Amino acid sequence: MEPIDMDGDILMQDQNDQRLDPTLDEDDPQDVSSNNEYSFNQTFHHPSGSRPELSFSNINQLDQWISQLSNCQPLSQDNVAKLCKMAADVLQFEDNVQPVHVPVTICGDVHGQFHDLMELFKIGGPCPDTNYLFMGDYVDRGYYSVETVSFLVAMKVRYPNRITILRGNHESRQITQVYGFYDECLRKYGSADVWKLFTDLFDYFPITALVDNRIFCLHGGLSPMLETIDQVKSLQRVQEVPHEGPMCDLLWSDPDDRSGWGISPRGAGFTFGQDISEQFNHTNNLSLIARAHQLVMEGYSWSHSESVVTIFSAPNYCYRCGNQAAIMEVDEQHNRQFLQYDPSVRPGEPTVTRKTPDYFL
Amino acid sequence: MEFQQSQLNQHDQLQLQDSDQSQNDSINEILYPLALLMDELKHDDVQTRVLATQRLDTIAIALGPERARNELIPFLQDVAQDDEEEVFAVLAEKLNSNFVNYLGGPSYATILLPILQILCSMEEPIVRDKAINSLNDLATILSQNQINNDFLNLISQLSQGDWFSSRVASCGLFRSVLIKVDSTKRKNLLSAYLKLIQDDSPMVKRAAGNHLSNLIDLLSQLESLHQNKNKNTQNNLENSNINNLEANTADDTDNLKIDDNNLTITDKNDTHPISLPDPPNNNDWELIFQMFNSLTNDEQDSVKFLSVDVLISILNYFNHHKEDSSHNQDLLEIFLKLCTDESWRVRYMIADKFQKIALYYSSDDIKLKLLPQFISLMQDNEAEVRKAISKQLTDFSKLIPSKEIIINRMIYHVVELANDKNEAVRSSLASEITGLAPLLGKTHTTNSLLPIFLSMLKDDFPEVRLNIISKLTVVNDVIGIKLLSNSLLPAITELAKDKQWRVRLAIIKHIPLLAKQLGITFFNRELGSLSLSWLWDSVYSIRNAAVNNLKQLTEIFGAEWAKTEVIKKILNNEILESYRLQNPELFENQGEVTQNQLHNQVIQNRTDTGVLFDDTFDELSSSLMNNFIYRITCLFTLKSLTIALANDKDLIINDILPFILKNAKDDVANIRFNVATTLLTITQVLLNKFSENNSADDNLENVNKNINSFSILENNNINNNTNNINENDKKEDPSKLKVDDSPEDIEKYLNIINTQIVKTLTQLASDKDEDVRFFSNKSLNAVQTILSEFNKKDSKIQENTESPK
Repeated sequence: MEPIDMDGDILMQDQNDQRLDPTLDEDDPQDVSSNNEYSFNQTFHHPSGSRPELSFSNINQLDQWISQLSNCQPLSQDNVAKLCKMAADVLQFEDNVQPVHVPVTICGDVHGQFHDLMELFKIGGPCPDTNYLFMGDYVDRGYYSVETVSFLVAMKVRYPNRITILRGNHESRQITQVYGFYDECLRKYGSADVWKLFTDLFDYFPITALVDNRIFCLHGGLSPMLETIDQVKSLQRVQEVPHEGPMCDLLWSDPDDRSGWGISPRGAGFTFGQDISEQFNHTNNLSLIARAHQLVMEGYSWSHSESVVTIFSAPNYCYRCGNQAAIMEVDEQHNRQFLQYDPSVRPGEPTVTRKTPDYFL
Repeated sequence: MEFQQSQLNQHDQLQLQDSDQSQNDSINEILYPLALLMDELKHDDVQTRVLATQRLDTIAIALGPERARNELIPFLQDVAQDDEEEVFAVLAEKLNSNFVNYLGGPSYATILLPILQILCSMEEPIVRDKAINSLNDLATILSQNQINNDFLNLISQLSQGDWFSSRVASCGLFRSVLIKVDSTKRKNLLSAYLKLIQDDSPMVKRAAGNHLSNLIDLLSQLESLHQNKNKNTQNNLENSNINNLEANTADDTDNLKIDDNNLTITDKNDTHPISLPDPPNNNDWELIFQMFNSLTNDEQDSVKFLSVDVLISILNYFNHHKEDSSHNQDLLEIFLKLCTDESWRVRYMIADKFQKIALYYSSDDIKLKLLPQFISLMQDNEAEVRKAISKQLTDFSKLIPSKEIIINRMIYHVVELANDKNEAVRSSLASEITGLAPLLGKTHTTNSLLPIFLSMLKDDFPEVRLNIISKLTVVNDVIGIKLLSNSLLPAITELAKDKQWRVRLAIIKHIPLLAKQLGITFFNRELGSLSLSWLWDSVYSIRNAAVNNLKQLTEIFGAEWAKTEVIKKILNNEILESYRLQNPELFENQGEVTQNQLHNQVIQNRTDTGVLFDDTFDELSSSLMNNFIYRITCLFTLKSLTIALANDKDLIINDILPFILKNAKDDVANIRFNVATTLLTITQVLLNKFSENNSADDNLENVNKNINSFSILENNNINNNTNNINENDKKEDPSKLKVDDSPEDIEKYLNIINTQIVKTLTQLASDKDEDVRFFSNKSLNAVQTILSEFNKKDSKIQENTESPK
């Protein structure tokens, strides 16, 4: 089944002029951070230094946070600030193309559907016993963006070698103000401070990952400005997701049936054809491009003669799409196994029959 | 609104200027925060006022009883007339019997009534309900006098209120006083209530109808109090009071047991005894029957269906407390009329309560009059009604005098329901239908019910299948495990491969239960390989459940079974069969060669030595061992079995430990750190130090438990089962684990730990992976702590043995 464009994220270019958040001014980011007692040092040490190991007290604290978060209890604002600071210390030492080893389980969009994320761990096995690679879009749309992103970030800090979290197009200041994360933070914490902490942290997230030099993982797709993976490595990634250019494309592009490059209906990134994918895989000696970003009814979907796979891990997306979710297990022999699953059943949530209304199709 | 705030501030200031500092400081400490709170009560922001209202107790305590009465109460009366609903809600909640303590005790309780009267007349249901609750709470501490004058007055004012909301509120207050007043006042109360039942506004009728069954239950209580009194004449009932019964009124009075103690408890707040009012008389009942009639004849179905609960209460009164069944036939006519009511909501209420009503009728009535109605409700047009009546199936069938009637007249319709087009109906039938088996006996269950079970086990809707499976034990008791397994095992094995993993999970969780009943031989033949094959399920939760299942089976069948049926099979290629069963697609590509090679080598291996862990082992299962999930699942299984095998330590040392140690050199870090945690578990078990709480990877397991706890919400059936299983886990009591090992054995274990386990852990503690180092160090520290304890003991023993010399 072809990916369906019902994700509907649209980069609203016209919003560049009228910003929703007055504190948001890219020209003068230092000014913003100095206003906020919770912001952390934004200097970037890539990659000369190395990640410091966790102290014993930090480990205890993280384990306590993880246990709290796994009950869907959000952290206090002070703890979020501490967590984000620790996370920045971990993430800034990761590569633009973060190397990942097999065996690993690759997952797509989660979109604040916290209980379905827990379902995911029930299907794939708990972390750290199982290694995970998430390809972005943890926040927005679902009701538990705060818990979801806090949980994943806490796991990342606690087990940096067992879990990799990439940046999606929703891990951005602008998109989160439109699609729910900003409002959720405001509702749960009474101020935008937590939103600010997380969106500042998102700038450090790696943008792509390379599994055993064979599977290239990223949120969106390819960019006409990038022919090799080495070129991705040389990007300056620590910034808000730009509106155009290679970094934007990696987070926004979609594969398409038409060959060559095309204009994306999303208003950001491009569409790319089978010829482009095959060329890229050949040039970089890859077996597969794994990406997320688009709703697919079966949870995963092959395109471009199995040179690109789309993985989507939010079942019954937006609590109404009736789609299955999937994750992809890659074992040491590079055998791939897709595991599909349905939404977790829980009381008090809107439930919808597993049918897509006609007007979506 | 002005209030004495300014006065209060002046007061403070004056005192500040006062010369005697030491005295004033203490007063200021009390009054300063008080002034703040009072300010907050008048704050512009609603939220601040809400918070301040929540601290009303503090204010009242600080003011002292007298000022609270004279200053705070008038102020609150103003608040209750002019504020936001948020504040009202908190205020209504706060003014309860507890608050009376700060006003000087129960004798002053009535000064709260005017405020609560205002609050309970509000249209906002939240405020109203809280005010009603507080009023009912206050009624428990009022003296007879206060009730007769103030509270009855309040009720009569409210019930005659112009606006519907105060009349609605009054309906909730009758229960506090109905059986505390004498028979004349009671008659007046009931007449007032009749007016409310016949009110013009449907809201009032509904509220009155809702509380009516409660009031009748209270009369039942009064009746039984009198009967008790007659039985125990020697008790001095003049001093008894019935205030403490108040708490029970909201509950189902069927369960109410009134004993002598209840009758002799004196009220803690009231020294004046309340005499027991006269028992309910015919006047009372005339009024109640009028109310019941107007409910059953109401035009609105939302009022009409309330009569079903009232009917039950009336039947209860006359049959249980009066032993008078003269009204039963009249009531039956009304009941039968309601059964065929044109509103489905009324029929739903009837269906929902069918058995509770049928309870009061003779077997003839049931056979001739109620059964036809029951059957027609089973065929109702509305799915909700069919769903509700399905739930009553077992309970109602128990009342039917002979099983022939069930078989001849009901089974046909049960079959229809089993094929109902609505899945919720089928699901609710599935949870009840197994209950018919004990009623029908072996032959009829086999002939009539088994086919239905089998068809429901194949239902498209997973919940239907689950509901049948989870109640199979009931059927087992009737027809015996042989018959059950012959007819149902094929269906169960079918479900064990169900596409829905939660269905598979439910089956796995029933396996230990089945195993106990089937016995070891039968189990090995029918379910042995299935139990192993779940270890290779693609879903982690199933693999995890399979591991737990094997652990429980080991506890049931013993070490020898675990050795031959699990451990040996896991560690050799017999597992290949079950693995292939689970993942046929993997073997299509990997070719015949590997399999044949493996097979030959296993045969050779067996004939040669019979020992599992020889040099060929690595080659032998290399193809399977290449799979990470396979390896880690083996590890989890053996770790789990170690715990179950605490009494068979040789098995752990000879068969399990070598495999674990081999895996310490695995390429995958996840395996290595699980080896580290497993080695700690083995140490703990060997030295009898294991308990569920101190396992090495408690932080991992916490997260897993939390994750699993979500599944508990999902299905009650699964829920009950997991709970049972968890309890079983906990039952692994220390007494069973603490086996007295001989000193030689302990010496042997210590030696193995020192030479093999500590050595491996030390190597792992300097692993290249951070997480492996972490878990290995953690295990190593724990192991060394245990060892040092043993060294201390040893030296003590030595000292003890040396000292007599």
